[in-house]
Amino acid sequence: MNYPFWDVPHIGSGWVIGLIAIYHIMISHFAVGGGFYLPMAEAKALRENRKDWLDILQKHARFFLILTGVFGAVSGVGIWFAIGLTNPEATSTLIHNFVFGWAIEWVFFIIELSTAAVYYYTWGRIPKELHVKVGWVYAISSLLTLVIINGILTFMLFPGNTWLQVAGSGQEAHYFWNAFFNPTYWPSLLMRILVCTALAGIWALVTCSRLDGRLHAKLKTELVRWSAKWLVPSFALMPLALAFYLWQVPESQRSLLQLGMSTMGTGAFTQVTRIALLIIMTSGTIVLVVYFFAWRTPEDFSFAHAIAVLFLGLVATASGEYAREALRKPYVIGRHMFSNGIRVRDVARLNQEGFLTKSLWTTGPDKLAQGEAMFRGQCLACHTRDAYRPMKILLAGRTRESIGSLLKILHDYKPDSPYRSFMPPLAGTQAEVDALGDFLAAMISTNQTAAAENPAKPAKVAASSAKSAP
Amino acid sequence: MKSVFASVFNWMDARLGLQDLLHLAQKKTVPVHRQTFWYYWGGLSLFFFLVQAFTGVLLLLYYRPGPEAYESVRQISFDTNFGWLIRSAHSWAANLMILAIFIHMFSVFFMKAYRQPREFGWWSGMGLLLLSMVFGFSGYLLPMNELAFFATKVGLEIPASFPLLGAKMASLVRGGLDVNEYTVQRFFALHVVILPALFLPLLGFHLWLVQKHGNALPPEEEDKPEAQRRTMPFFPNFFAKDLAMWLIALNILALLASLFPWELGPIADSLKPAPKGIHPEWYFMSSFQVLKIFGQWFPGASGEVIGMTLFTLGLVLWILVPLYDTSRKSGERARNATYFGLLALGILVVTTTWGYLAIR
Repeated sequence: MNYPFWDVPHIGSGWVIGLIAIYHIMISHFAVGGGFYLPMAEAKALRENRKDWLDILQKHARFFLILTGVFGAVSGVGIWFAIGLTNPEATSTLIHNFVFGWAIEWVFFIIELSTAAVYYYTWGRIPKELHVKVGWVYAISSLLTLVIINGILTFMLFPGNTWLQVAGSGQEAHYFWNAFFNPTYWPSLLMRILVCTALAGIWALVTCSRLDGRLHAKLKTELVRWSAKWLVPSFALMPLALAFYLWQVPESQRSLLQLGMSTMGTGAFTQVTRIALLIIMTSGTIVLVVYFFAWRTPEDFSFAHAIAVLFLGLVATASGEYAREALRKPYVIGRHMFSNGIRVRDVARLNQEGFLTKSLWTTGPDKLAQGEAMFRGQCLACHTRDAYRPMKILLAGRTRESIGSLLKILHDYKPDSPYRSFMPPLAGTQAEVDALGDFLAAMISTNQTAAAENPAKPAKVAASSAKSAP
Repeated sequence: MKSVFASVFNWMDARLGLQDLLHLAQKKTVPVHRQTFWYYWGGLSLFFFLVQAFTGVLLLLYYRPGPEAYESVRQISFDTNFGWLIRSAHSWAANLMILAIFIHMFSVFFMKAYRQPREFGWWSGMGLLLLSMVFGFSGYLLPMNELAFFATKVGLEIPASFPLLGAKMASLVRGGLDVNEYTVQRFFALHVVILPALFLPLLGFHLWLVQKHGNALPPEEEDKPEAQRRTMPFFPNFFAKDLAMWLIALNILALLASLFPWELGPIADSLKPAPKGIHPEWYFMSSFQVLKIFGQWFPGASGEVIGMTLFTLGLVLWILVPLYDTSRKSGERARNATYFGLLALGILVVTTTWGYLAIR
């Protein structure tokens, strides 16, 4: 361990990334889709000599520039800060493999930001044809940032067998293109482009909804319907793209989606199935709302309707991102590095030599301190003490002996272990495993003592806590 | 495709008179004003009831009342494909339905929609609310888990505190001295046979009255001249908006059922002590807290009897409001009825919050 641990209480460090990422994706995918929407709409308006369209598009371009250029760019950088703190080993692997990929992405990113500003500030000041061309330069450069970053993101789900064969040999960079064009690259790119076009339409609907349908009936009808059409490719092709994606995802990861079909047991990683259901539900609702409210009655399409569609889009995006992240379990880089930053090939060595041997961040010499260091190093990446995936609730009611049995299952990591599909092995010597057991037992007993000191604790909470610990 | 659809429609129209229904729906209008939003809550209550009926029938396929009650719910929640989803949707929809009915009731009250000629609409609505609460109470025990067992025990103390017949009624419902497998059997019969048999005709009557009298105007709209009032056609405008509200409700329900699936908890054990802070569901919390407060203020059983009597009197006054707030003009009686409504709402919110704070 060369890095300190980022201990974010209650929500966990993963959710810090998650919250920034969900917010970022809503904007960054709009940056790509909206990049095509604007020059296409402007070209249409010029072709048809529609000044009223151009006035609305100029307002939309200002909104677009502020949202994507400020909030999108800042949150994008925020993600990299957060992943570096949360999982430095994985971030290091990405940097070592994709440093040139990132450099290329930054070139496109700078072109994207510059042309977005040029596009807005030269509105009506340069020849119209040239202005549309600036829009196209923006659109293509923003698409290329997605083309690049998609390779890095999909690499983390499954780098592909060719790269995995050389992982750790120092030859990884020679297999850059194998890692980049990994098995889920193309379906993921297709899905993301579809999301981009849908978000371009949804954000445009927000702008168009502010037009007064009584005063500008024709204009509003045309713009709302034209914007609604941007969701059609997503409606039509997303099921196929999703099927293509799932077909390319390794069977072991795909099966995670089925864990929650028959059970809602706590600790059985059932939430992925539930979240996947939400994606279907909200996507279906977007289709219906856009058809009935935007397409059928465009004049009455209000700002509240548009915000409702945007909110549904946010839920669908958040659910999609959560499901995508969760599908990587128990890895952070498929079959190469576990979600707690331990490389697959290092587990045997750590079991032999000890996990804490090279730890610079052990908080003290006593056993509980060692146990806490084990907890921070191997559990904290996915669990918190008391809120998100809380150890205090997951282990509630267990004795020290029963905690020891659970840790043994995780340490042995036998092929038939039920935890193997979504949890990393517990690495370390027996003494370290025992120290972790002691620490967890002490944490639970603190919890139980608190409950005993507060006898009026609502029975509902107590009952639900005890019900189905794994 | 269109011609096939038209032929099917014509075939059915000749036999069922669909055109007449369509004309009726198109002729019917809904008032448009600042309070129009509250018109959707009756429809939302109906939507959640339909979800209840659908998921309830699915649960019936696997649920086994009696000694196996807990085990069958455990199988539904942890073994059957998507059983947890159906059960969670059923439980969440039950709570959302009662919440929607409460909101509908208060909006009807404050819009004075109980006045002539809508008195029976108010009374049938009150009947539906009370039946829904009994639905909730009876359904709560069916999993026979620890929480349901003790909450039912506590809940049955409310009717047991009624003077004269209270204790006998509670014993009849329990099927013995304590909550047991016969209670589950009786609650099951109540939940899936007796209550639907009472609820469905009453619901039909309520909907017929709504159709007959249309949407009531709030007093400030009634004061406006006819020419200044705005309306929208029921079909397709209001119908489409109603469906949109149903869609929103469905999404909220899916969100709750997926992210917060309904817990099962440990099996009921009558030999174990009751968990600390045991309490009934939120919609009984107000009456539960009122009983508790009066129990603390007055010695022995008299406190509960006084509390229950006051609560019953308040309920009777509430139900009979169409008989004493009859005038369409905003006179003293109308104002007093509004104050009574605000007082009732205040008591409900305060005692419910107080109840939850007291068990923390």
